[in-house]
Amino acid sequence: MTEPGHTRPMTGPLEGIPLPDLEALPDYEEGFWQGALSHVLRIQQCAECLVFRHLPTPMCPHCHSTSYSWTAVSGQGEVYSFVVVRHPVHLAIREKNQLPYNIAVIQLEEQDGLRICTNVLNVAPEEIFIGMPVQVTFMVPAGQQEVVLPLFVPA
Amino acid sequence: MTTNITAVDTNGIKDKAAIVGIGETEFSWNSGRSEIQLACEAIKAACDDAGISPQDVDGLVRYEMDSNQETLLVQSLGIKNLRHWECVAYGGGAGNAVVGHAAAAVAAGFGNYVVCFRAANLRSGVRLGQAGGPERITGGQRAFAEPWGNLAPGHQFGMFVRRYMHASGATSRHFGWVAVTLREHASRNPRALRREPFTIDEHQNSRMVAEPLHVLDFCQENDGAAAMVLTTPERARNLRHSDQIVLVEAAAQGSGPQNEGIIYRPDLAVAESTNTSRDLWARARLGPEDIDAFMFYDHFTPFCLLNLEAYGFVPIGEAKDFVEGGQNIRFDGLLPTNTHGGNHSEAYIHGLTHPQEAVRLIRGTSTAQPPHKTINRVLSCSSVAQLSAAVIIRRG
Repeated sequence: MTEPGHTRPMTGPLEGIPLPDLEALPDYEEGFWQGALSHVLRIQQCAECLVFRHLPTPMCPHCHSTSYSWTAVSGQGEVYSFVVVRHPVHLAIREKNQLPYNIAVIQLEEQDGLRICTNVLNVAPEEIFIGMPVQVTFMVPAGQQEVVLPLFVPA
Repeated sequence: MTTNITAVDTNGIKDKAAIVGIGETEFSWNSGRSEIQLACEAIKAACDDAGISPQDVDGLVRYEMDSNQETLLVQSLGIKNLRHWECVAYGGGAGNAVVGHAAAAVAAGFGNYVVCFRAANLRSGVRLGQAGGPERITGGQRAFAEPWGNLAPGHQFGMFVRRYMHASGATSRHFGWVAVTLREHASRNPRALRREPFTIDEHQNSRMVAEPLHVLDFCQENDGAAAMVLTTPERARNLRHSDQIVLVEAAAQGSGPQNEGIIYRPDLAVAESTNTSRDLWARARLGPEDIDAFMFYDHFTPFCLLNLEAYGFVPIGEAKDFVEGGQNIRFDGLLPTNTHGGNHSEAYIHGLTHPQEAVRLIRGTSTAQPPHKTINRVLSCSSVAQLSAAVIIRRG
């Protein structure tokens, strides 16, 4: 429920904005999106030193191995930082009345500094805070079938 | 904190290049002409200021983002022989870096008259603060940001600002004092696009764009061009401003780790310019106490606070107290800051107007010239999260 004076929560992914072309991605990014298709949050993990990394890269920045796996993580984490967008910079945001929306950076529980960008659903922007515990969920943006996005909800 | 970066204490460019000319076009919302014409006009103006012909220019340092290719500039300006050309990557991160690169080219003898410039229709052309229509992303950091609406610089830098507020206790009101002060400076500057002063309450009541950033925390998007001419101090003594030699004393650039995508940096409350700061002071063998005025890249007002701390003008976490009320950063205050009005209120030429203002302050020709002290040494810096750059400009 939204508190009086608070703006409406997001309930799903944004519509009509750029999405990855799964056919055109570099090989070292594919595992993240393939995991999402089956509703599993998979993060690139070095096969040698076992350090997780995100953004995906072709080489481990710690031990310089080019071997990695796409490891399923718990999907638990907390809000590290967030922005509440109240001005549309993209036509689809304006035309589909998608304001306000939040963008959040989530610190995943597996490793200090392991963060991903997302939206936090089902919470008014005024109620989001740094340190807020969250849990991953998966949804398909309206109007397309190819891409599934990891999103987060309060844990 | 990274431990294995050692400060570089050699300073191969020290006082080997002089800034002899600065020039710009008018700043506007719609220049009505091509970017190459803007570039030519700004370079001509800078050459006029130096007292040389554009045909004498033999070095060009441009921003990688700049659309103006060297070949057409040679053709248009009548350059007889371009001996040195290079471009510096990463948007506003090139802001003060081009000055350091031009100084290095002069110091190395690669060119006699080296020009650095930026020319763009950033309002009537492609706007950096706007995202395009529906499209598919073919990978890279955008693929891990845009599907969630992380589409513009304000969104990415807003993440920094939120974290900085969390760590330091700074509030939007502190950023407001920076905004009020920059606008006050611009109100004295006839070149400035936005000159109408506003109050701290007007800042606080201004439209929220990317919370915690209000619209009055953002820089402008506009058209225009700026250019600078550098040469050796010996040649400078025979040019138009021979009585006011302005030297490049030191320069530094830095990235820090994990800079791709901005939001993956180790600590979003700390600007990457902490790395650049360490190298700059070591090379210059100077400290913040030696600086008379401070030019910072004001894409967003909070980066005043982050960089006051990064460059050691105040201890970490204390910038909010330093900017409170605006007196300390006013042109007549302790540390005159962005006396031209900056990207915020004068014009957004991707940070090249900041070292230009440093030259004006040393010449004594700023429209907000500090009345209470002679400006002998200015720090001008850019910090855009992926990369940062800084230059110390001094009276020769």
